[in-house]
Amino acid sequence: MKTDPARLDRLRGYFHTGETPIAKPDCLDEHTVAALADGTLDAETRGRALVHLATCALCRRAVASVAEALADGPITHEIEIVEGRRRRGGPLVRIAVPLAAAATVLLLLWSPADDRSPGHRGPPPPPATTPILRSPVGAVSAAKELRWSHVAGADRYRVTVFDATGGVVFAADVSDTVVAFPDSIVLVPDVSYLWKVDARTGFDRWATSELTEFRIAGPRRR
Amino acid sequence: MDPWVAELRRGRTDAAWDLFLDRYRRVIFAAIRHYAQDYDDVMDVFAQVCESLREADLKRLRSYFDRQSHTARFSTWLVTVVRHLTVDWFRHRDGRRRLSTVAGELPPLRRRIFEFLFISKRSHVESYELLKSSDGFDLTFGQFLAEVSATYRAVAAGRRGRILRELGGPAPPLEEIEDEQASPGERRAELEDALSCLTPEERVAVELYVVEEMPADAVAKVVGWPNAKAVYNHVYRALAAMRTRLERAGLRVNL
Repeated sequence: MKTDPARLDRLRGYFHTGETPIAKPDCLDEHTVAALADGTLDAETRGRALVHLATCALCRRAVASVAEALADGPITHEIEIVEGRRRRGGPLVRIAVPLAAAATVLLLLWSPADDRSPGHRGPPPPPATTPILRSPVGAVSAAKELRWSHVAGADRYRVTVFDATGGVVFAADVSDTVVAFPDSIVLVPDVSYLWKVDARTGFDRWATSELTEFRIAGPRRR
Repeated sequence: MDPWVAELRRGRTDAAWDLFLDRYRRVIFAAIRHYAQDYDDVMDVFAQVCESLREADLKRLRSYFDRQSHTARFSTWLVTVVRHLTVDWFRHRDGRRRLSTVAGELPPLRRRIFEFLFISKRSHVESYELLKSSDGFDLTFGQFLAEVSATYRAVAAGRRGRILRELGGPAPPLEEIEDEQASPGERRAELEDALSCLTPEERVAVELYVVEEMPADAVAKVVGWPNAKAVYNHVYRALAAMRTRLERAGLRVNL
């Protein structure tokens, strides 16, 4: 079927009465609405539910709304964490671990043993296999968009911005290395935010950037 | 078993609540933010959701576990409950007045179009004439129709659009002038008759795909069809069957 947006708009216009549907005693309960959106009802129960759904705009709206919410990045992210399909790794941990790793490397580089070594060259730096976050980084005057480096072979990037409590403020899946930060999300000045980018490099294979902090610099005080 | 469920089963509701909230706070916030964009709204809805889930010794949460069998995941059920409570909160606070709030954020021409078409429910021709005569806008009917579509897209997009749809409006614009002959109610009655020739599965698929704008793969999941292609095929055939039925009744609807 052709999914011509204008044609679909026209069809929606035909179907839409502009009236607010009213709940009936036989409307589906929240459990059934959730199971329909999940696609987990058995055939018999689903058959009964569909008979009701066919004539109830209110329940159709509920099912469509829940299905849409379940496909929303931040909700999916949080559900995957509570269901154990994704690790949270709080922002502090995510900052502390790379910092500790960097400190270890520095300690090794500064080790007096280096002075005694005949000066072997280390291995060449590995090619960029994870996204490098370009902007915003640190204190910035505004964050209109998020930019990062390209990763060879990546066909998709998943961007996530966290607030200081680890809550997801913004999440998006894009194919480009830049995404506009929605105006609807208000970033509080002088509050730290953290963001990262996962690059999809193969089937179910993701390369994750360092978690990076930024904040909107507030107005200067005298 | 989750620790909070274990506490719930032991009847220690305060401990269960603390553990539940610790585990699901972010899911609840994410679900609320799906619909609400203002910080104060999000916090007020969160308070309302907590109050509702906590009342009567966590009755609502217990209702999930009191069922004999579970076909929905708990997290999906929770998102469903939060969506319900969020929409209720907006409905009680705003009702359809929220439409006016949205109109205020549009550029002047689109604001007037929005007020005429979506709030005052005037026809396209009437709105066009009023724009020209009363408001002094100088544009062709073609330009007007393009602005109508752009206005609809502007108000239906994003989180604001989501809560607007939950509150019952606005409807997408119809482009053909001859369709203005019938009221939305009459048009819907004609369609109801044509829809009666479909099976419940087909009818739900048509409504979810066309009206609710659900992706075809999500529709397939709801109606129990194997994939998105099955949805395209069924919906295409269903619309063709409806068209035939409407034409037999002497009605011309461009489905």
